[in-house]
Amino acid sequence: MASASDESLRSRIIGLLTSGLATDVYPRADSHEQVQRLVCDLRLAGDDLEAKLKLAGFTSYPIEHAGITQLCETCMYYKVHQRFCELPELNVPVEPDWSCKLWRI
Amino acid sequence: MTNLLWLQGGACSGNTMSFLNAEEPSACDLVTDFGINVLWHPSLGLELGENLKKLLNALTSGQMPLDIFVFEGTVVNAPNGTGEWNRFAGRPMKDWVTDLAKVAGYTVAIGDCATYGGIPATAPNPSESQGLQFLKRQQGGYLGTSYRSKAGLPVINIPGCPAHPDWITQIVVAVATGRGAELSLDEFQRPKTFFTSFTQTGCTRNMHFAYKVSATEYGQRKGCLFYDLGCRGPMTHSPCNRILWNRQSSKTRAGMPCMGCTEPEFPFFELAPGTVFKTQTLMGVPKDLPSGVDKAGYVKLTAAAKAASPAWAEEDIFVV
Ligand code: SF4
Ligand code: SF4
Ligand code: SF4
Repeated sequence: MASASDESLRSRIIGLLTSGLATDVYPRADSHEQVQRLVCDLRLAGDDLEAKLKLAGFTSYPIEHAGITQLCETCMYYKVHQRFCELPELNVPVEPDWSCKLWRI
Repeated sequence: MTNLLWLQGGACSGNTMSFLNAEEPSACDLVTDFGINVLWHPSLGLELGENLKKLLNALTSGQMPLDIFVFEGTVVNAPNGTGEWNRFAGRPMKDWVTDLAKVAGYTVAIGDCATYGGIPATAPNPSESQGLQFLKRQQGGYLGTSYRSKAGLPVINIPGCPAHPDWITQIVVAVATGRGAELSLDEFQRPKTFFTSFTQTGCTRNMHFAYKVSATEYGQRKGCLFYDLGCRGPMTHSPCNRILWNRQSSKTRAGMPCMGCTEPEFPFFELAPGTVFKTQTLMGVPKDLPSGVDKAGYVKLTAAAKAASPAWAEEDIFVV
């Protein structure tokens, strides 16, 4: 179950994404090296939520890439019942139909 | 009595340590219960200098029978094929290997280095190391493809970094008690009894593998280590979750990924930075999928299993 603080953070993220926060959706992090670089950048961003969303290329809709739909719902870091992204460098509540460049199945 | 000689080439002694920790049967049981006469071993051998040379010469000349020749570590050929970097009892170790393998009833390679070349043979392989009958995946190695011991078997390979103590002693006992001919070996000459199932067979995280719940840090009390932390359990042949380590646990049970140490490519990706304990992906899909599974099937299965995962799978399950 999602906690009250998760819900308030989720609302904040929805607000940011729907009010036009420009995130780096492309290029996708296809190679292992790109993923590693991105994870390092996220670590440097620390607790800066907007910076993290921007770097990770968050969208509030799924992204189709290389013939596969990349959405939180199928991502390895997604906790289905808590609707939460468990990637330590993100660690934020999400929605199943969102997406980001760190998606992995 | 069955005469056993254990020599060490390019090695870290990890398999010796493993052997000395064996419990079922123990190294002592080999002597007291199974009539194995350990002629010499790097940690147990009494002879030194001239006496050791005499012993080795008695074996190579056929004056004394060598029933089981155990080799740990790589065959070192450097520099320039001479083997001078690894001298033992007055000559390059590789020359002893040549002569002893010729007279041995059975030749047994213990650990990755003796089996495939292991870590020393990783590029650029400065010690020009080879395994006894393989170099990584390629058959041949130091003794050559056609090598057969006197019993008619190729080198019996017991890989692992190190090999589990009981894999070592159980195979030695099988050979010493005349059951060597019954050993069935796989394509890498590993005893099938140990190396047909996967590391994943018996892993306590299989439920999390099935429901695609990932561990994101070492030692977590839930989650499978395949998706993020580079666990090679689904494509590594070993009984690590059937024959437990220290009779207690295994790497994956404790929350550390299997590194695939019983396979010829170990260490994978030549230890390039960022490749150890990290699942390598291409466009978000693991490069190495569970044995026998294709990419389309994997993606479909994962999406469906994830959607079906129960709430408990996301909570700590191994509660103390
Ligand atoms: S890593 Fe990205 S795609 Fe995966 S759950 Fe987190 S936010 Fe969603
Ligand atoms: S932790 Fe490794 S061995 Fe265990 S279920 Fe997951 S992939 Fe398999
Ligand atoms: S769990 Fe994997 S890395 Fe560890 S000993 Fe077994 S096969 Fe080797």
